[in-house]
Amino acid sequence: MTGLVGLRRAATTSAESVVAAPAGLVVTGVFYLMVTSILAGLWSAAAAATGGEIVGYSAAALVWYIATSEASVITIPVRLIEDAGDDVGSGRVDVELLRPVSLLWLRVAREAGAVAPRIGVCAVIGVVFASLVAGPAPSGGALALTALALPLAALTNVVAQHAFAGASFWIRDAKGAWFLYQKLVFVLGGMLIPLEVLPGWLETVAKVLPFMAMAYVPARLASGHVEPELIALQAGWLVAISVGAAWVFAAGERRLIGSGS
Amino acid sequence: MHHAPEMGRPGTVDREQTDGRAIVARDLARTFTSGPRRRRKHVDAVRGISFDVERGERLAFIGPNGAGKSTSIKMLTGILHPTAGSAEVLGLVPWRRRRELARRIGTLFGQRSQLWSELPPRSSFRMLGAIFGMTDDRTDRRIGELGDLLDAGDLFDEPMRSQSLGQRMRCELAACMLHEPELLFLDEPTIGLDLLGKQLFRELLLRLNTEIGTTIFLTSHDVTDIEHVANRAIVVNHGTIIYDASVAAMRRELLATKRVELGLETPVGQEAIEAVVGAGVTVSLLAPTHASLDVDTGVRAIKEVLDAVLTSLPVADLSVVDPPLDRVIGEIYQRPA
Repeated sequence: MTGLVGLRRAATTSAESVVAAPAGLVVTGVFYLMVTSILAGLWSAAAAATGGEIVGYSAAALVWYIATSEASVITIPVRLIEDAGDDVGSGRVDVELLRPVSLLWLRVAREAGAVAPRIGVCAVIGVVFASLVAGPAPSGGALALTALALPLAALTNVVAQHAFAGASFWIRDAKGAWFLYQKLVFVLGGMLIPLEVLPGWLETVAKVLPFMAMAYVPARLASGHVEPELIALQAGWLVAISVGAAWVFAAGERRLIGSGS
Repeated sequence: MHHAPEMGRPGTVDREQTDGRAIVARDLARTFTSGPRRRRKHVDAVRGISFDVERGERLAFIGPNGAGKSTSIKMLTGILHPTAGSAEVLGLVPWRRRRELARRIGTLFGQRSQLWSELPPRSSFRMLGAIFGMTDDRTDRRIGELGDLLDAGDLFDEPMRSQSLGQRMRCELAACMLHEPELLFLDEPTIGLDLLGKQLFRELLLRLNTEIGTTIFLTSHDVTDIEHVANRAIVVNHGTIIYDASVAAMRRELLATKRVELGLETPVGQEAIEAVVGAGVTVSLLAPTHASLDVDTGVRAIKEVLDAVLTSLPVADLSVVDPPLDRVIGEIYQRPA
């Protein structure tokens, strides 16, 4: 219980830290708006060129899809995996190992806390942008589910990045792991394109991988699909990835403490 | 190579050896291995060190770079497994009960900050308090106490990024003292501080020790830190302890030599000076008319040397000084293990 209180306070303090530097939030918001505008424009044009619809998504639904998928991913620190590698390599992780709480969950709490204000900013910008460009959300009920799925997607992404970052306990330079991870989220996570656009076999593969929980699920809901089972799937992935990350970190910590390098 | 089973074994010290002691280390050793299997290299970073630290002691754990100081601290704080030997810190085997130990020790590693730069330290303190299982009331009371003790209360509401390095280090010290640790591990805590900052920091450490009784385990390359803070010094080199005595004893060792700075009216060669001063004196000719004489007072009385110099050499100026402590420590570093 004590640990949970500490982790919650780590998350809120991290969020406070982000809010205390508003310039960073402005940059995130502007970048998000820029990317979302471009992709929404491209998808709208593509939909217009194919009779106003692509694989069941209308032009308006695609705008809401992109506004949500980008918000779920852009808000995550891009160098989280690399930073973990640097922290292990430089010994900065020693300070965190000397806390009476789990190294993994302390880091996750800190990163999740930092993501929360960014998600808030991007969600507001996204709703305003999509409403202006594509009209009201296709479904109020689906939008309500999105409000739940969006933070869940970000949390799943943060935990999954830590699972990948666990590689840094064995290989100091985790840039390769980060590069691979990022591309998987972009394509197989549905950040750039709805998964239904992928070739049939790849769509099937993408839908059984955890990356879909990080962008596709909230975006699919925001585009007007009332599919609450997606949230259950997302929660399942969060639990599974958490177990994986905990295992990787436990093994990594044992290695670090055992070998010292 | 030391295998895992062996690494799992090092541990418990006899109970009677730990009574009243903050740290008990027995034959503590750590070997690092690196490189591919066929060309694997083994480096003995710490080679079986044994020492005790009493509660309330102020220990300087010093040595040149690569001597094994950081490795020893890592083992004693539980973030590195020894390959052999045993240790108990506050009655706990550090690498087996790291998180439990973390609640009872404070650590300050150089300038590795544990406070958020964008926030005032008070926010970070509240977070750290929660992590250490403290209630908000207790944390707030403790922040007030530390503000008074460290004369830093006014700094706790200023964002860290707007504070000087000296001010930040006072806040870092408060952070590592927040949960009322019984033992502080300080690794190069004054690095980067200016003279006044260092002086203030040393005074704060002394105050923590004398007023609260916090045991201090300090590593530093700054001899003044050792002189002002520690009451005992352990010198390590090549992974072994080569000197262990009170700082007062170290001073006495220092006083076994005296340095005579000699200014001459006309140039005199080194050999001529050596012939005059005789055995037990090391002559260094710094300039044609400036020499430095290191007198081993155990071999030659300083008065004898001064009489000989004043009688036989064209002395223009003369002064007798204690050699600096860093020279003595340097000499200790040169000693064989």
